[in-house]
Amino acid sequence: MFEALAGTILAGIVAIGLALAGVLVILIWKKDRTRKLSYLRLFIQLVSLVGIFYSFTLALWLSVFFLVILGVTFFSGRFFCGWVCPFGFYMDLIALLRKKLGVRYRILPDRLNRALNKLRYVIAAVILAAPLFIGALTITPASQVQVLFLSGPFRPIAIMLSPLEPIVVPFTGAIANLGFIPWSLSYPYARDIMVYVNIPLVMEAIIYVFVALTLVGTFLFRRVWCRFCPTGISIAAANRFKNLKWMPLLHISKVEEKCTKCGICKRVCPVQVTEVYEQKGGDIKTSVCLNCMRCVEMCPYEGCLKMNVAGRTIFQSRNWLEPSNNE
Amino acid sequence: MKSETAEKKYMPEMPKREIEELNSTVKSASAKIIADNIARMRKTDPNRPSGMQYFDEVSDFFGQRQKEIQEEKTKGKKVIGYFCVFAPVELILAADAIPVRVNSGWYDTSKLGDRIVPVEVCPVIRSTIGAKMIGLSPYLELSDAVITTLTCDGMTKLSEILSDAMPIWTMTPPRVKDSPQSLQLWKEEIKSIKTQIEKLTGNKITAKKLKEAIETMQKASKAFRRLQDLRKGNTVIMGRDAMLVNQTAMWDDIKRWTKKTEALCDELEKRIQQKLWACSPDTPRVIITGTPMFWPDNWKLPTLIEEATPQGVLVGDELCSSDRVLYDPVGIDEWTMDDMINGIAERYLMASTCPCFTSKDGNEDRINWLLNKVKEYKAQGVIYYVVRGCILYAMEYSRVKKALDKLNIPVYYLDTEYTREDVGQMKTRVEAFLEMLTARVDF
Repeated sequence: MFEALAGTILAGIVAIGLALAGVLVILIWKKDRTRKLSYLRLFIQLVSLVGIFYSFTLALWLSVFFLVILGVTFFSGRFFCGWVCPFGFYMDLIALLRKKLGVRYRILPDRLNRALNKLRYVIAAVILAAPLFIGALTITPASQVQVLFLSGPFRPIAIMLSPLEPIVVPFTGAIANLGFIPWSLSYPYARDIMVYVNIPLVMEAIIYVFVALTLVGTFLFRRVWCRFCPTGISIAAANRFKNLKWMPLLHISKVEEKCTKCGICKRVCPVQVTEVYEQKGGDIKTSVCLNCMRCVEMCPYEGCLKMNVAGRTIFQSRNWLEPSNNE
Repeated sequence: MKSETAEKKYMPEMPKREIEELNSTVKSASAKIIADNIARMRKTDPNRPSGMQYFDEVSDFFGQRQKEIQEEKTKGKKVIGYFCVFAPVELILAADAIPVRVNSGWYDTSKLGDRIVPVEVCPVIRSTIGAKMIGLSPYLELSDAVITTLTCDGMTKLSEILSDAMPIWTMTPPRVKDSPQSLQLWKEEIKSIKTQIEKLTGNKITAKKLKEAIETMQKASKAFRRLQDLRKGNTVIMGRDAMLVNQTAMWDDIKRWTKKTEALCDELEKRIQQKLWACSPDTPRVIITGTPMFWPDNWKLPTLIEEATPQGVLVGDELCSSDRVLYDPVGIDEWTMDDMINGIAERYLMASTCPCFTSKDGNEDRINWLLNKVKEYKAQGVIYYVVRGCILYAMEYSRVKKALDKLNIPVYYLDTEYTREDVGQMKTRVEAFLEMLTARVDF
C-alpha cells in the first residue's frame, strides 16, 4: 500500500518535472540560442532516463540492452553516451551544479587522458569476465531494507545514484540466476548482485566507493567516466579495418578552410577530444567522441563543424552570434 | 607615470615651438584629408547609405569622440591604448576603462620618425613615432597606458621607443601557436595584463563585469559580422565605407558603435530588397590582404581601387585593421573567471592570422582565412598590399600566391610607402590589374 502510494507520488513528480523541463527548454530555446542544443540534450536525457527506468520495470533483459548499445554504437557513434545514457545525465547534472557553484572544472593532461582511454579495454574485459565468477557464488536472501531501497519505490534514486549499473554489470544477474528464477533476469543491477552473492558487505563497499569516486571525479572533471567507458570499443575496433572506415555513420566533420583554430571546440569538449581541433578537415572518427555536439554548437564559424549522418548534414555550426540572414 | 626629467633613450629633445608648429600644420592637413576622403567616398557612391553619416562623424580624429573621451577622463575613467589586435579589449572594458587603438596612419609624421629610426623600418612604426613626437594622435595622447604586442620587429622596438614618453605594457606572443607551452605563456601574459589594468584603473575585474564585457564584445562581433555578410552578395555598400565602419570600432564607444552598425545593416538590408546597388554588379570584386591600413591618410589603395576606371569594388580584406578587428568572438563554455581568461587568451592568440606566427604548415590559418574569404565573397582578384619594411607580410607573399593560384585567383603584389608621391604610378598598376579582371569576366 505504502509502496504503491510512494510509487505514484514519484511518478507524479517525474511527470511534473518533465513538463517543467519542457517549458524551460522552450523558454531557453527562444531566448538564448547559444545553449539551445545543450538544454535540448539535457531534456532528451531526462526523457530517456524515465524511459529506461520504466522499461526496466518491464521484463527487459539488460544483457540484451548492453549488446544492443554496443551494436548501435557501430552506426551512431557514441550517440547513446551523449544523449541517452542515464549515467551521462547524472554527470551532466553534477556539472550543472558545479556551474551553479561557480567552480571551475579541472583538465586532465592530454597524455593521461589518452592513457585513460586505453583503460576501457580492461574494464570491458572485467565486465565480460565478472559474471562467470559471480555466477559461481551462492545466493542469500536480501534484507527488507535493501529490497525497499533498491527495487521498491525508491528505485529512481537508485538509478540516479548508480545509473551505470545496467551497462556495467549486464550479465551478472542473468548468469547468476540462469535456470533458477527466470523472472529475476529483469533485475540484474549491481546492487541486486549483492543480494544474491554471499559477500554483501564487500559488494556494498565496492559500490559505494564507486559512487563516491564518480561523484567526486565528475565534480572535478567533466564526464570523467566517459573517458574510460567501454561503449566506444566497438567503433575503435571497427576503425582498425580499412573496409569499416565508414563507421560510425553519425560523426562530426570539419571544413578546414573555415576553421581559424580558435580552440573553442577543444575547450568545450567534455571528454577533452583533441581530434576535432587538430585534424585538418574531413570526417572526424574518434571512438572517444560522445557526439554530444557541444563543439558544433559552440563553434562560432558558420558551417565549419558539421554533424553528418551517412553523408547528410543534420546540424552545423553557425554564427551563433546571429543566424546568418543573408544569402 | 614617468617623471618628465627621466632620461630619454630614443626620443630627441625638440623645442616646444617646433612641436607646436608641426602639430598645427599636420593637424590642419590631416583634417583636410579626412574631409577629402569622406567627400570622395560620397562621390563614388552618390546613394551612400544615410547610416554612414554617424561613422563619418566618428572618423574625425579631432572631433566629437576626442572630446567625449576627454570628458570621461575628467570623470576619472582611464584610457588604455593598444597597438595590435592581440590586446584583450574585454579586460579593458571590464575594468571600466576606454580601449582605443592608436596605430598611426599619418603619412607626414613618418618623415618625423625618420629622425629616430632608419627609413628601412616599416612606415607604420615610423609614423607612430612621429605622431608621438609632435603629440598629434589624440588617442595616443589621451592614453594612460599603451598595450603593445611584440608581434613584428617594428612593434618590438616601437614599444621600447615609446616607453620614453609614456607607460607601455608589453605582451609577448609566442611565435608558434599550436604547442601547449605557447598557450601557457600567452595565458600568463593575459593574466599579467589583467593585473596591470586593475592596478592602473583601481577597479577590480570581477567575473560579473568580465562577463558583461565579453557579451558586449560578442554583440559588437555580431553586428560586425552582419555587415561583412552583407558584402557577400551584390555590392550594397562600397568597400571603403565598410572599412571605415570597421575602423571606427577601434576607437568608438563599442555599445554605441554596435547600435549604429545594426542600424546601418537594417538600412542595407532594405536596399537589398529594393535591389539598390552601390555599384554595378559586374564590377570586379577585389580583396586586399597584407599590411594593415589606418585611417585617415593610408586610405590610398582602397580609394584607388574604387575610383579607378574600370572601377573595382573592395568586398573584403584580410587586414588586422579592418575585417579582422571583431570577426572572432570569445566563446565561453562556463562563465567562471578561469574559463573566461582562457577563452580570451585563446581568442586573441589562436584565432589570429598575423604573419608573425610560423608553423610547419606555413601559417595556414592565414591561408585558410584568405581562401575562405575569396570563396565566400566570390572575389575575382586579390591585391597583396605591402608597405616597404613590412618584412613578414612581404615574405609570405609567395606562399599566398601559390595557394591562390590553385583557385585560379590572380594576385597582385603592390608595394608602396607612406607617401602620396606614388599615387599616379599606383593608379596605373591598380587600373591594369582591374582591367585584367574585367577581361577575365568577359571571356
